[in-house]
Amino acid sequence: MTGNQGAGGGDQGAFAPAAYQAALPTERVILPVGSEGAGDQLEMDVLFVGAGPAGLSGAIELARLVRHDNEAGGSLGDVQIGVLEKAEALGEHSLSGAVVNPRAFRELFPDLSDADFPFRQAVPGERVYLLTAGGSLRLPTPPTMKNHGNYVASICEIVRWLGEKAEAAGVNIFTGFPAGALLVDGQRVAGVRTVASGLGRDGEQLGGYAPPNDITAKVTALSEGTRGLLAQAWLEWQQVPSVNPQVYALGVKEIWETKQPLDAVIHTLGWPLPTDAFGGSFLYPLEPNLLALGLVVGLDYHRAALDVHVLLQRLKQHPLFRSYFEGGELVEWGAKTIPEGGYHALPGRRSGDGVVILGDSAGFVDVPSLKGIHYAMQSGIFAARAIFQALKRGDQSAGPLAEYDRLVSGSYIMSDLHRTRNMRPAFTHGFYRGGIEAGLMSLTKGRFPGRRIVMDSDAAAVRRVGSAEPFTPDGALTVSKVDAVFKSGNTTRDTIPSHLVTGPDVPPEVVDFYVHMCPAGVYERVDGGLRVNAPNCVDCKATDVLGPRWTPREGGSGPKYKRM
Amino acid sequence: MKIAVCIKRVPDSETRVKVANDGRSLDEAGVKFILNPYDEFAVEEALRRKEAAGAGEVAVIAVGTAASQETIRTALAMGADRGVLLQADAVPADGLAVARALAAELQDGGYDLILCGKMAIDDQSYQVGPMLAERLGLPCVTAVTTLSLEGGKGVAEREIEGGVEVVEFPLPAVVTADKGLNEPRYPALKGIMAAKKKPLAVKPFDGGTVGVAVTGMGLPAERQEGRIVGEGAAAVPELVRLLREEAKVL
Ligand SMILES: Cc1cc2nc3c(=O)[nH]c(=O)nc-3n(C[C@H](O)[C@H](O)[C@H](O)COP(=O)(O)OP(=O)(O)OC[C@H]3O[C@@H](n4cnc5c(N)ncnc54)[C@H](O)[C@@H]3O)c2cc1C
Repeated sequence: MTGNQGAGGGDQGAFAPAAYQAALPTERVILPVGSEGAGDQLEMDVLFVGAGPAGLSGAIELARLVRHDNEAGGSLGDVQIGVLEKAEALGEHSLSGAVVNPRAFRELFPDLSDADFPFRQAVPGERVYLLTAGGSLRLPTPPTMKNHGNYVASICEIVRWLGEKAEAAGVNIFTGFPAGALLVDGQRVAGVRTVASGLGRDGEQLGGYAPPNDITAKVTALSEGTRGLLAQAWLEWQQVPSVNPQVYALGVKEIWETKQPLDAVIHTLGWPLPTDAFGGSFLYPLEPNLLALGLVVGLDYHRAALDVHVLLQRLKQHPLFRSYFEGGELVEWGAKTIPEGGYHALPGRRSGDGVVILGDSAGFVDVPSLKGIHYAMQSGIFAARAIFQALKRGDQSAGPLAEYDRLVSGSYIMSDLHRTRNMRPAFTHGFYRGGIEAGLMSLTKGRFPGRRIVMDSDAAAVRRVGSAEPFTPDGALTVSKVDAVFKSGNTTRDTIPSHLVTGPDVPPEVVDFYVHMCPAGVYERVDGGLRVNAPNCVDCKATDVLGPRWTPREGGSGPKYKRM
Repeated sequence: MKIAVCIKRVPDSETRVKVANDGRSLDEAGVKFILNPYDEFAVEEALRRKEAAGAGEVAVIAVGTAASQETIRTALAMGADRGVLLQADAVPADGLAVARALAAELQDGGYDLILCGKMAIDDQSYQVGPMLAERLGLPCVTAVTTLSLEGGKGVAEREIEGGVEVVEFPLPAVVTADKGLNEPRYPALKGIMAAKKKPLAVKPFDGGTVGVAVTGMGLPAERQEGRIVGEGAAAVPELVRLLREEAKVL
């Protein structure tokens, strides 16, 4: 495999990826309730789409509110709460860092203590470095990156643990069922339609064919995580504005069993990223000898040949990192995007008739601290409270559900994001100017520069074409994309129809851009044209941001993360 | 038609296997557990038999830890009617102990057919089905790839070296399922909902009397790395030389 380090050759032209992107297939994603073609019909009272921290926390809180109300003689009676998840088992599509702020856990489980939560260890110490190709400079930890009192954890384990709590509370968890479309009744969201399974490459029905199912609900909570398809479609359909468009970063991550232990969480800035890209790396010890290494890069990078997977491979060769990984074993690999637009990219409202949008799907991520898990959980808790009130009132229209927006707006979710509102946008100006500006912002608690920095969508950012610096993985310390995908546990049936919607006439330089952009080797350039190896896809959604659009495929497809 | 299916919770075959610190068990950290794939064929077959008969009951029985309830729920979500967990601290390594426990549970159940997987993919012992039949005094047909039942008798096909064997037997009987018997269904949404309300009885099992114990577990030797000797026709002479002189297979 060849890749590049983003150093790029001469100027061979430029393009904006948006010009080659297909539109969101809204006509397939927003369906009138009762449309033909569904198998089973199922009725829920409340349906969460996506079993991440947001959806599961919402389901747990709602189940508890209903139970307490019934115990106190309330009249709600039996309330059916469902959670749909596209992964075959809970947590298998979950990927994070993760250093977790325990705040929302404490609120959701007031009877438990930190020791009961599915964390691996308290953050033992922390170090931040600025890297150059051969050296490293230790920096003081910026206030926005401080992790004292937080915990190192695996989001897969968190999700499985939350899932057990939800099931014990009577929540129906349906794994292996991706939602493929919103069911709507006028302006009201009435539920979702799941994706069919057992289709052949050309859409023909195979032996194990199962048709899509319709699940109707009084309230549908979209907790699909980053770049949620249904959330995007709803926002577009309802024309909900945001001040800046949402932007994303791609994180590529590996889990290693190492010979050398680590006793701190490490963040780095600088090399191997070119100075015109935004991002950094993290190295977290789940256990002293079980390390999570990730590299996160803003998808507005300028060099078409930048390849995050390859950059992560190079990172492991840096003197600061090499000694940890040499002689160790790569146990898992994965990738996922992160919404990084922050405060100014939040949709003007996150609720409507019969619907609320939670967690990453709404964009509740604080970029400087690289945190979203506790915001996702907290947004789930707030959504549950608003939904509970709406159920009590017998009215789940936009009015009562706007309570969710009020709760979020009055909480630390909004004040945290407001404080760091201009940090990510500052980096559209490049690493050094961005770094200085971000420093000033931290010092002034977000007041500098006193105006909003405008950002384009990632797909609108112009890419300079240039040649890739060749990279040959050694198969031990560094791995190819093919080997990487194997380590994601991806065993997608290779005869399913392609779930990626490509634009017409993709020129060769854009094909090359896709090849580098996708960490899982989905795209290949064959005879100058685009070849799509769809089964490789690990649902990171980078492609949906910059290239061919992503749609959900047969349940259980994609990665099978264990300790990401 | 009353059918019992014996099932087991096993590590997923895609699991990266690590030996635990005691040197004789699996390190369960990060391991996903599933319904034993051969038992899945057995459950599917039972459901099809019941559906074909138009009436009856499919009961699933597991010997295992409390976590096996999840495995039983999977079978219930597929369509089985009720579950029984013979709950132990660990599944005994001795197949006979398991077979005895199952036999005691199934003895007076009045089952027309008892189905098992031909083996569990974790210990690959192939013992429980035949031993269970022996304990119950029933005929046993192992590793079947097709099954038909009519009146009081069954006809099964088994794959044998280079061909197919056709076997006839009276019911009740114990039949163990092989790959190819059917294509197991995926639980439907309604099945998952319904499974929560189906009865699941948990009975304590002390592990029985054991005659066999696992004393060690190890990983297979790593495969030697491949070697690229060249490309295209030019590489043939070198390849032939190596096969002759190093591998000594020519
Ligand atoms: C590399 C990386 C590092 C990070 N580090 C940290 C960190 O250290 N600390 C921290 O707090 N946060 C971190 N984050 C952010 C954090 O992981 C997210 O903010 C958090 O997971 C959001 O939770 P969620 O429930 O909104 O979404 P998710 O956790 O993404 O869950 C969404 C779920 O919905 C499912 N889904 C999506 N679409 C559908 C559909 N159509 N049908 C059915 N199911 C669907 C998905 O499979 C997934 O299981 C990191 C993120 C990344 C990518």
